[in-house]
Amino acid sequence: MRNLFLFIITSVFAISCIRINEPVVIDPVKLRVSPNGFFIVNEGNFGWGNGSLTYFSYDSVKTYNNFFEAVNKRPLGDVPYSMIVYGNYIYIVVNNSEKIEVIDRLSLESKATITGLISPRNIAVTGDHKAYVTSMYSDSLRILDLKTNKISGHINIKNSSEAVVVQGKKAFIANWIGGNEIFIVNTDTDQLIDSVEVGPEPESMVADKNGIIWVLCNGGWTRENFAELIGINHETNEVVKQFTFPSRMNSPLNLTRDSDGDTLFYIDEGIQCMNINSSVLPSSPFIDRGNKQFYRIGINPVNGNIVATDALDYQQNGYFMIYSGKGAFVSSHQAGIIPGNICFLVNPGHTTE
Amino acid sequence: MKYSLLYLFISVPVYLSGQQDTIPIREIIITGRQIPAEIPGFKKTSVDSLFQNNYSHLSFAELLSESSPVYIKSYGYGGSATTSFRGAGASHTQVTWNGININSPMPGQSDFSILVPGMSDNIHLSYGGASIYTGSGGFGGSVNLENKPVWSEKAQFYLSTGTGSFGHYSGSVRFRTGNSHFQTVTRLFMNASENNFPYINDVAASEPVRETRKNSRFRQNSFLEELYYKKGSGTLSAMIWYQSASRNLPGSMLMAQSGSGEKQNDESFRSIVGYESGKGKINYYLKGAWLVTNLDYTNRIASINSENNTNTFALKGGLETKIKSSTTINVTFNDEYTIVASNNYKENIFRNSASVTLSAQRKTGNRFGTSFLLRGIIDGQSLLLPDFAAGIEYRIFAYKDHFLKTGFSRNSRIPSMNDRYWNPGGNSSLKNEYALQYEAGYKLSRPVTESFTADAEITVFSTLVRDMIQWQPGEYSYWTARNIGNVNASGAESVISLKYKYNKINARLNAGYSFTRSVSGKRDDVFHTNQMMYIPINQANSSLNISRGRIYFFWITDFTGKRYITVDNTGFLPGYVLNNIISGLKIDLRKTSVDLNLRINNLFNSDYQTIAYHPQPGRSYFVTISFQMN
Repeated sequence: MRNLFLFIITSVFAISCIRINEPVVIDPVKLRVSPNGFFIVNEGNFGWGNGSLTYFSYDSVKTYNNFFEAVNKRPLGDVPYSMIVYGNYIYIVVNNSEKIEVIDRLSLESKATITGLISPRNIAVTGDHKAYVTSMYSDSLRILDLKTNKISGHINIKNSSEAVVVQGKKAFIANWIGGNEIFIVNTDTDQLIDSVEVGPEPESMVADKNGIIWVLCNGGWTRENFAELIGINHETNEVVKQFTFPSRMNSPLNLTRDSDGDTLFYIDEGIQCMNINSSVLPSSPFIDRGNKQFYRIGINPVNGNIVATDALDYQQNGYFMIYSGKGAFVSSHQAGIIPGNICFLVNPGHTTE
Repeated sequence: MKYSLLYLFISVPVYLSGQQDTIPIREIIITGRQIPAEIPGFKKTSVDSLFQNNYSHLSFAELLSESSPVYIKSYGYGGSATTSFRGAGASHTQVTWNGININSPMPGQSDFSILVPGMSDNIHLSYGGASIYTGSGGFGGSVNLENKPVWSEKAQFYLSTGTGSFGHYSGSVRFRTGNSHFQTVTRLFMNASENNFPYINDVAASEPVRETRKNSRFRQNSFLEELYYKKGSGTLSAMIWYQSASRNLPGSMLMAQSGSGEKQNDESFRSIVGYESGKGKINYYLKGAWLVTNLDYTNRIASINSENNTNTFALKGGLETKIKSSTTINVTFNDEYTIVASNNYKENIFRNSASVTLSAQRKTGNRFGTSFLLRGIIDGQSLLLPDFAAGIEYRIFAYKDHFLKTGFSRNSRIPSMNDRYWNPGGNSSLKNEYALQYEAGYKLSRPVTESFTADAEITVFSTLVRDMIQWQPGEYSYWTARNIGNVNASGAESVISLKYKYNKINARLNAGYSFTRSVSGKRDDVFHTNQMMYIPINQANSSLNISRGRIYFFWITDFTGKRYITVDNTGFLPGYVLNNIISGLKIDLRKTSVDLNLRINNLFNSDYQTIAYHPQPGRSYFVTISFQMN
């Protein structure tokens, strides 16, 4: 009996020492999405206000289109572009409506609308209840206070900004349109501390497991330059990897990575896959393009599934395809117009296979 | 005075306009003549001059949407407005000014929000195949603006000024003088509005918000000078038309009201010198035109400053001869040389296109009329497949105005300069679009009683557009122009016009309904049956016009049906009905006639949109006072 008592005491103590994520309190009445699935931000056509939000549930293997409007009885906005999940909330950046919609992560009910932004593009959490928002048409980043859902400041980088990756106490900001630099901001002081010259038009970025910041420079739409894939050491801010694409016609986009951080994926005439230690760019696609217009890809952080969107003719509703981690086709589903960035909301152990 | 009081007390009077300067004559219906159609087999109408006069302070966009089956897609008052005739696209409407094509060569279309009805004497609408007689490319139809001299010894001065809701004010002047050999006409027009109307925004935030439209101010000016000299049967004419418009472009309701600072300045200078010989057995004309357009678009936030300049030199000539009294043969040639300088093109672009047209109309007896046209077009160095049209019209009963008609045509459109040279995305290897068009109709005109006449027309049409140019995403990150689209548009138009006259009362009811199915047809081996976006299936309008003595009244109703706003037809804008009224009083003071006019737009305060998320104003008022001195 004494041993049993000791066992219970030590067990309780041991369990209390294990750090676990704050449990999500699910209100069954408000629950509208299974917590295992992913969102797709459908951009819609610029100026037409037909962007929307799609959710795919792993549990029911069903797709729910136009979810935001169904719940909130109003359109999401003009060109919703990206989103993140932070705590109990989802932050959807709506580019041409110059706002961020804050919605409950499970009920999808609107909680706040952050305005006062100029052509916002991407959002990244940089600290406790703090985020940076990049801007296509302004010279500064906006700092958000995620507790109050207000703009708390800005950081003037004197250039437009697109992709943002946070590594340690640094935020790496890509100057995409007409640019060739990565700006580095100290996330504690919110000060611009450095910049790194890369190839023309750095479009997307990821950090690998070694802390290398990989930058995909698509070369610019005029096809006058070669696209490049560049690796930056996040501590020294030096370029440590550099790959040049073979033809000016290569126009790669949407660099992403797997959950282990040792494999890179991007779109370039199909979906390309490359180990971070590879000394050459992939010579053939991991997934053939076929007749698809691949627009965005995302890698399921739990099971390694590859989700790719197909924008079709950019006017009618597009599709998304789910491929296994080995590149085998699993299923295809309809999304909204110009299905874009993908945001996962998954629990370990769920697969679609 | 008693009329003034009557007008003040009856806010919605039920009378309309007596033309004091006209002499009433008994209407005579002549039925034993040749068929009256200008182009047998095809449909051509003119905008009622009374209607046109009452829209002199508005734009073509308002005039056409309320008086014709033409659908206007507009961003709101002052915002750009494009047309759709018979389910075709905006670039498939040709606009001519005294026979010269004035569509902007860059987009290949016209903005109807900055064309002013008061700058021309007559407005003709040519539908479908009829448009080929004024030029190629108008698959849907064409709008033809005409200025004509009045060979009168009397000088006439007209001044009109008005003000209305949302900071809207306008003014126009027309001065006409001359004699039986020389005439000059000067027209000035100014129009400006803050356009800051209130609306409910129920899409931008969780709760509906009452907002005021911002960044939507516009101002436009227009000046037209006409000179005519007649000697014998020949007339020499010269015209210049300057027009400018400065507009702030508001965003959609989904955008923050602070806006992006979008602004557009349009400027055009058009001139025509011509000589016309008429009334003989052989008539001819020759016209030379120089057309200049400047369009500057700025978006402060996006750092866009788009500067576009075009110069077009046109030469057009024609020879008409009559064989007996039944057959008319025309030969015309047209040459357009265009230069475009734009910071959106890699370099300055030059283009020359020329055409030769042979056409004939034959009207046999009083029962038959036929028409035929054949046109060869050279675009740069390329000779295109010829365009043609053929029509036949038949009077069903001798001595009565009941007509059956049918027409068939092939029409082609050279890609616009933007389609070919816009950087990025322009495609210099585009093929021409072409359309095969068929129409058939029945038309009647008959007196019911001595004081009551009825006219009606119903037309069915089919237009198959092939190699249609659409801008679509290419392999890179920008859109490119390609010949990938097909559009099959078909439908029916009907119009009825009733006229009643009794003592001093004149009443006229015009009503029209159009049904248009416009589908994208076969693409990528898949046949699509979805309605094209922003083409209403059902559209109707009517105008009731009553006058008694010096008091006049118009009631205009415009119904626009559901319009789809997504390719798959899952999203749509609901239909709406707009009611506008115009009432006025004419007072004669010796040689001066004064016209007091009140217009109420959107009488029942309908909430509607013609483009998704772009609000339109609710009820608004506009008052004008006009003086005409003879």
